[in-house]
Amino acid sequence: MNKIIIVFSILFLAISCTDDFSNVVDFTEVENPNLSEESVIGQPNSSVIWLTGLERQLSLAINNTLVLAELGSDNYVNTQTFFSQFMDELDIQITDPNIRNAGFTIQRLREMAVFGLTEVGPADPEYVATTEAEYHFFYGISLLYSAMYFSALPQEPVGIPVSSAQNYRDAIAAFDLAIGINPLPEYHLAKARANYYLGNKADAVAAAQQALALDGSFDRFATFDQANGPTNTMEAALFARGTFDDLQPLPTLDFLDPKYSFLTPLEDPPVHYLKAEEAHLILAEANISDGNIATAQDNLRDLLDVIATREVRSIDDSIEGRTENAPGSRPNNANVAVNFRGLGLVLDRQAGNVDIPAVSGTSLTEFDVDMMVAGDNAVELLYRTRQEVFIAEGIRFVDMGIKLVIDENEILQNDNISMGDPGTVPVIPPFIASVVTDLDAITYDAAAGVATTVVDVTQILVGNKESDLVLPFH
Amino acid sequence: MDRSNYWLVLVFFILGTTITLAQNKTIRGTVTDQNGLPLPGVNVIVQGTSNGTQTDFDGNYTIQGNDGQTLIFSYLGQKTVTQPIGESNVIDIQMVEDAEALEEVIVTGQGSGIQKRKLSTTVDVLTEEDIDKLPSNQIDAMLQASTPSAQIRLSSGQPGTASIIRTRGPISAATSSTPVIIVDGVRVDNLNSSPQLGLGTGGANVSALADIPVESIERIEYIKGGAATTLYGADAANGVIQVITKKGREGRATAFFESSLGVIKGTEDYLRYKRTAEALFSTGLSQEFKVGFSGGGKGFSYNFGGSLYKDDSFNNLNEQVKRSFTFGYKAKLSKKMDYQGSFSYTGFESNLDFNANFTTLSRFSGFESAGRGNLDELTDEEWQAELERSDRINPLVDNTQTINRITGSNKFTYTFSNALQANATIGIDYRTSVSEQIQSNSFQVATGTIPEGTTDQAILGRLLRNAFTVTADLNFTHKANLNDFSFVTILGGQFFRSTDRQNQINGTGGVDGTRSVNNFATQTVLDFVLENANYGLYFLENVGFFNVAFLELGGRLDRNTSAGENTNPLFLPKIGMVYNLSDHDFYKRNGINDIVSTIKLRANYGEATNFAQPFSQDRTFSLNSFLGAPSFTFANPGNPDLVSERVKTTEFGLELGFFGNRLNLSGTRYDATTEDALFTPISPPSDGQLNQIQNIGEVSNKGWEFALDATLIQTKKHRLGINLSYNTNENVVVSSGGGAPFVVGGFQVIGSVVEEGQSLGYLRGTAAVLQDDGSYEFEPNSNLGDTFAPYFGSIGLNYTWGSFNLFATGDYQFGGKITDLSFLLRNLREFDSEGIPEELNGNTSPFNYVNFFVFDNDFLKIRTIGASYDFGNVVKPFSNIRFGLTVTNPFNWTAGNFDPENTGSGIALQNGFASGGFAYGTESLPRIFLSSLRFQF
Repeated sequence: MNKIIIVFSILFLAISCTDDFSNVVDFTEVENPNLSEESVIGQPNSSVIWLTGLERQLSLAINNTLVLAELGSDNYVNTQTFFSQFMDELDIQITDPNIRNAGFTIQRLREMAVFGLTEVGPADPEYVATTEAEYHFFYGISLLYSAMYFSALPQEPVGIPVSSAQNYRDAIAAFDLAIGINPLPEYHLAKARANYYLGNKADAVAAAQQALALDGSFDRFATFDQANGPTNTMEAALFARGTFDDLQPLPTLDFLDPKYSFLTPLEDPPVHYLKAEEAHLILAEANISDGNIATAQDNLRDLLDVIATREVRSIDDSIEGRTENAPGSRPNNANVAVNFRGLGLVLDRQAGNVDIPAVSGTSLTEFDVDMMVAGDNAVELLYRTRQEVFIAEGIRFVDMGIKLVIDENEILQNDNISMGDPGTVPVIPPFIASVVTDLDAITYDAAAGVATTVVDVTQILVGNKESDLVLPFH
Repeated sequence: MDRSNYWLVLVFFILGTTITLAQNKTIRGTVTDQNGLPLPGVNVIVQGTSNGTQTDFDGNYTIQGNDGQTLIFSYLGQKTVTQPIGESNVIDIQMVEDAEALEEVIVTGQGSGIQKRKLSTTVDVLTEEDIDKLPSNQIDAMLQASTPSAQIRLSSGQPGTASIIRTRGPISAATSSTPVIIVDGVRVDNLNSSPQLGLGTGGANVSALADIPVESIERIEYIKGGAATTLYGADAANGVIQVITKKGREGRATAFFESSLGVIKGTEDYLRYKRTAEALFSTGLSQEFKVGFSGGGKGFSYNFGGSLYKDDSFNNLNEQVKRSFTFGYKAKLSKKMDYQGSFSYTGFESNLDFNANFTTLSRFSGFESAGRGNLDELTDEEWQAELERSDRINPLVDNTQTINRITGSNKFTYTFSNALQANATIGIDYRTSVSEQIQSNSFQVATGTIPEGTTDQAILGRLLRNAFTVTADLNFTHKANLNDFSFVTILGGQFFRSTDRQNQINGTGGVDGTRSVNNFATQTVLDFVLENANYGLYFLENVGFFNVAFLELGGRLDRNTSAGENTNPLFLPKIGMVYNLSDHDFYKRNGINDIVSTIKLRANYGEATNFAQPFSQDRTFSLNSFLGAPSFTFANPGNPDLVSERVKTTEFGLELGFFGNRLNLSGTRYDATTEDALFTPISPPSDGQLNQIQNIGEVSNKGWEFALDATLIQTKKHRLGINLSYNTNENVVVSSGGGAPFVVGGFQVIGSVVEEGQSLGYLRGTAAVLQDDGSYEFEPNSNLGDTFAPYFGSIGLNYTWGSFNLFATGDYQFGGKITDLSFLLRNLREFDSEGIPEELNGNTSPFNYVNFFVFDNDFLKIRTIGASYDFGNVVKPFSNIRFGLTVTNPFNWTAGNFDPENTGSGIALQNGFASGGFAYGTESLPRIFLSSLRFQF
């Protein structure tokens, strides 16, 4: 009997040992649950997923540049510290992490576009031409933003800093590649904008016309995901943070604020970064600078027609008090006249919903256009309209000729850059520098219902239109 | 345990009365020590029976026995006495100290314990007696002020708050300085910060240290880093806290029941506005019931401790409930095999208010940082409206935490012979926490974040975290003596494996009245996983020379799965020497021995490590859901060369005892360098890649540790002892590997920064500096001071008069700096300009003069004053009734007019670096007046 038990036991143990039991006692095995490179490159449809990643990255780049650009311009004053502690005073420092994030997200967009063009796209059996065109477009957009916001930025990891002008030129080359594959109006407009800031009037006009020829009211926008992020940071600053009242508009722009407001629990409002209005404005400005007032008037009428088609949102903005921190300090009702321009610029947010343009809005009227005559007044009117149409889109800052700086971490780790090089020093036109503290200052007599901006930046820009730093067509 | 013992224990526990088997004779007597002082608590047992008792507080006992039987008297540290029962009914015993047993044995490293005198390293020890006195039920709060060389700062008065624990300065920019915690040889979750995923509470969080059960601890050993922790491997560079639970002792079964009642009062000393207290503070009560029983028979012993605790805090919001028990067991399984096991459970429920970062949601911070205006200047009507607003919000704040934790340990010891022993330990710790936050519509309306009348924007967040650790260790200890040489050899292998799984569930767009995410319009989920396995082989050789000098040589070959693929296992060596000069016979005979009774010299060198967060070595990509579509992006750049950072410590020490060791002095000099320090520098923005942790830094910590304890009075009735410690730390980032300074905490305008040549996490910001012409110059990136107080220590007093005991503990620090962020915010909001020059205030941004918001972080805090009285066996059946009174946090002296400990929001990442350089937006530790009554059976 004992022998039987022993034999049976040995047999049983022998059989059970044949199973792979090692993983039961292997305590060293760990598994990283995240995606490896093999899960991305070479997989069917990976190029489309990568493209969505580029869209998302652009939204992140916009998030990181818009608030800075709006605070740095005269559009908004910062009443809190949440979004930036420096830019409102145009205190541009190489150590400012917000400026670093702006540069980083723009350059990450570029690196992602390059990775898409060189690695993800070619390895994906489902890679199509329109996707490739988008990769070129996003590469161009990253260079365009580099040029718009920085006086110099590298075009490759720890590369030589490239000047703003060269970044514009290389952006144009990228947009041309995209257009060559799949001509879209926004590709042409992006090219028009680069040419505009380079002062290449003819090329800018040609590109603007090509854009409009494809679609007279196109609108390319960056989207935001309310549920998974990125959410629209500018929306948080203007609307979602409610009583914080972080960014407060210049009273002349009150009727345009907040451009972004709560949309749905899933989606945050988009930022319209390449829209037909810009093409009309470029054409109008080119015509004004050439003395073709009548054509310019036509361009502006076209502009008003497009704006009239854009969405206007009726929103409850009662939570935004305008005056939370210092009651009575800012105009907050419809009886306030600003800069002697009559009523209508300031809205009463406590008297029910307000109607706010979600894409483009302006105080420009048909009458203003009809009355327009050649000269600086026309340029001023155009620039005021640019400010209004592009509010909360980061354009006013570029129009003011201001440029951010390369981050300290780049300077220290990039052998091609030294402290003091161009690109490491902020660019602020002297006529702006001299009024920095007054950029968004106002005087306000609540009792009389009169608000006045201390300076009129549009006037200052037009007064200095000969400068290389601003008004590129003049 | 045989069946009769079970019954015995049960009857002891239920009836709480002494059961004695029929004996025909009552024997009485008094047990004294060698000085003739009565010895309470001596176990008296009739040999071969389970009949036993303990001496009372005057050393008296009575026991039933028969002629011819033998009484055994045993007491820790005394030689066991056996005394046959003769004709007399009175047996008085004088016990003699057992020199060998009194030699403190330290569990340090692995293997069998080693006598303290053979160790070249120092260990701070809290004994059962020390622990029982302390009123706290959180381990870090207990250690605060009771260990001589640890700096422990609880960061808020809210329940279960995280702490900053440090001994020899900040050694790492990558990890928290919280030591590894080991309960009965098993590593336990020591997360002392917010988890990686987290609900937005403005920094309010519950630490894993808050739910380590403390009612059955026999001993806590605080082992500082360096050579003392080399054998622990992995992340032991910050030191190790070893908790050894009670397993009971052979002898009469004892039981106790304790009831405590406390009054918890908010500390108003630091409030800027007294009205803050009016709005938020509300004196609360704490209640606790504890029971315990322990005992043992031949070949086994056991201990059970359980506690039920509840308090409703010092404010009108916080509440906590804690239920815990620990069971410890020891058995002789065979002649050669011994077993020790312990099992503990804690259930902890608490709720939190919002802290600093959410000024709209945090009422405390809103008030104190003038987010609601200058409270002193509000009219009564305005203030009334504020009070009503606050009272409206109060019941709507809904941040809850529920934690369940079990820890189990098993240790088998096999004694091959007197010389050779094997120890095997295996155990687990499992901690699961559920944090939940509901921002209902009514809450958001009350705080003004959504318009009145909104009903469909409720938010629910739930974080589930499961932390599991398994530890196993097998080692062999060999002891040998060869003439005048002794050898202790330890050889072993150890592994631990930890898994941390976090899932966060968010629901938005909900209506009020639900806690289920199913009822929310949109639902999103996040997860996070950390998994790490660490394993190593270690050895230690302790060679004794003439039983006075000892040489230690040891090392550990250490590998963990968080290292990059290009790396090899690390070898961590240690070497130490100790010379007990006063143990020489010639010295003992010398007259000077009466004055200088102990002289011990020690020196050692050892290496210990910290590893980076698991998986940070891998290159990864991520896929994000973007408006319903998948989107790829780069994630971690990866670093195949990533290894643990290595802290190399050299230490020299001297211990002196005077007048029969009534006055003891200890001094230690340490010099620790963290090589291959783990820094996460900011990548050049042109890379377009996220920051990657790298072994590029070097950090140096040097300092002195002095401790003194003295028995000032020792008479038959009185004993007065004091202790005092003083520590210094000099910390500098020797190299940052060429990277730019990077912020590891704080804000953009004033950050806690890692920069070459500066102290780790020093404060940096723009300083306004007065010029000769009376103007101010703004100097950006100025050094505004070190966040770590370089001088610190603790003080203590213990007085016994018969059955009365009075004790006090306190701690202090000075030399560091801290930012008063509430003041900065008040100034920014133009409500407070105290001490700010007129030329600056209102004329430039406060961010240009942040130096005016930085103050000394000096403090002296008396943590506990307690008194107890033992009534003895005045009421049957109790062998003793103890009445205790303690006051926690009664007195504070600080350099500034805010509490420099309140760094509630300082730790940004899971187990990340915490400088503690910012005081902001959370309540101070409350004052607790606690009374307790303990019935001992």
